[in-house]
Amino acid sequence: MHEFSIAEALAARVLRHAPERGRVSEVEIRVGALRGLEPEAMKMSWEAVTFDTPLAGSVLLMDVRPWTLTCPACARVWESPVPFAECTCGETAPRPTAGDELDLISMTVDEDDDGDAVAEVPAAEPVEPVEPVQPKEAAR
Amino acid sequence: MSEPAKSTRIPIVERVLEANDQLAEGVRAELTRRGIFAVDIIGAPGSGKTALLETTLRAVKGRRRPAVLVGDLATRRDGDRLAKWCDQVVQISTGQGCHLEAGQVRDALKEIDLSNVDLLFIENVGNMICPVGFDLGQTAKVGVFAVTDGEDKAAKHPYLVQEADVILLNKIDLLPYVPFDRAVFEADVRLLNTSVPILDVSSTTGAGLDPWLDWLDRGLAGERASNPMA
Repeated sequence: MHEFSIAEALAARVLRHAPERGRVSEVEIRVGALRGLEPEAMKMSWEAVTFDTPLAGSVLLMDVRPWTLTCPACARVWESPVPFAECTCGETAPRPTAGDELDLISMTVDEDDDGDAVAEVPAAEPVEPVEPVQPKEAAR
Repeated sequence: MSEPAKSTRIPIVERVLEANDQLAEGVRAELTRRGIFAVDIIGAPGSGKTALLETTLRAVKGRRRPAVLVGDLATRRDGDRLAKWCDQVVQISTGQGCHLEAGQVRDALKEIDLSNVDLLFIENVGNMICPVGFDLGQTAKVGVFAVTDGEDKAAKHPYLVQEADVILLNKIDLLPYVPFDRAVFEADVRLLNTSVPILDVSSTTGAGLDPWLDWLDRGLAGERASNPMA
């Protein structure tokens, strides 16, 4: 059940970035297929870890990246939720590849007040959608 | 519930395990500086990780200066077993944790005289899934599979197979007695990892031990070559 440890680590990252005002309503992560993270277990862990914290009630959005299968016979390349699958040409052993990324992508902060609090949230670097992540000193 | 007045999506993009990874880099820097070859040994409960370590420690005794960190949910039994063959053994009790994390390794290393170590064995908690994604600062990852667990274990654990720098197929002495299709096992491994060496071993009989010891020697030589100051 590594989901629990990962949820704990995620909550710590999110709290580090969360602005003082407002409530974190959504947290978005991207997960490579290699990680083998079970979405239901991850959501359950997230609820348990965030219970009674400022992140309680926030929704965890998981973008689980699929496997890429490459057929050695016909060179077809396609995406699959599972690593082992037969090709349409009948080849039984396409080569599976996948990433092991485990990245915090974004958080969404809700504000009930009018006012400038949201605008005070420092803008983070723009999202690079595909490239692996470089650690960075992000906005607080 | 009323709609919030404002809802702002803040892009971040950083690794979820950033804190662990930073600790692991610290461990790695220290081990590299000292020219220590460190292996993270990952395999299912009962795959024979501890027995393999006993046999390995016996074989390198007097020739190498090993140290062992051994992670378990509970008990000191593995640590006690290994202490017969190695002066420097630290048992890490993980409690509920299904894997070791870099902070535990960093703390355990404080109990070891690293100036008197060239090989560091980190026996992870028995589990083929959770430990794989947590960098401990090791030089290499060892995946331990046992013929008694069946040939489909590799296909079912792609992350371990892909991450492993060497795969040990343990309990090879039991091959005549259990249904294990080695060709299927190897084909699955090769689909996921084209280059990883697969070494057949038996901790009980010592069969296949030499290629494994050679692999360790080459790893240590590589570690020293990459850091001539060590």
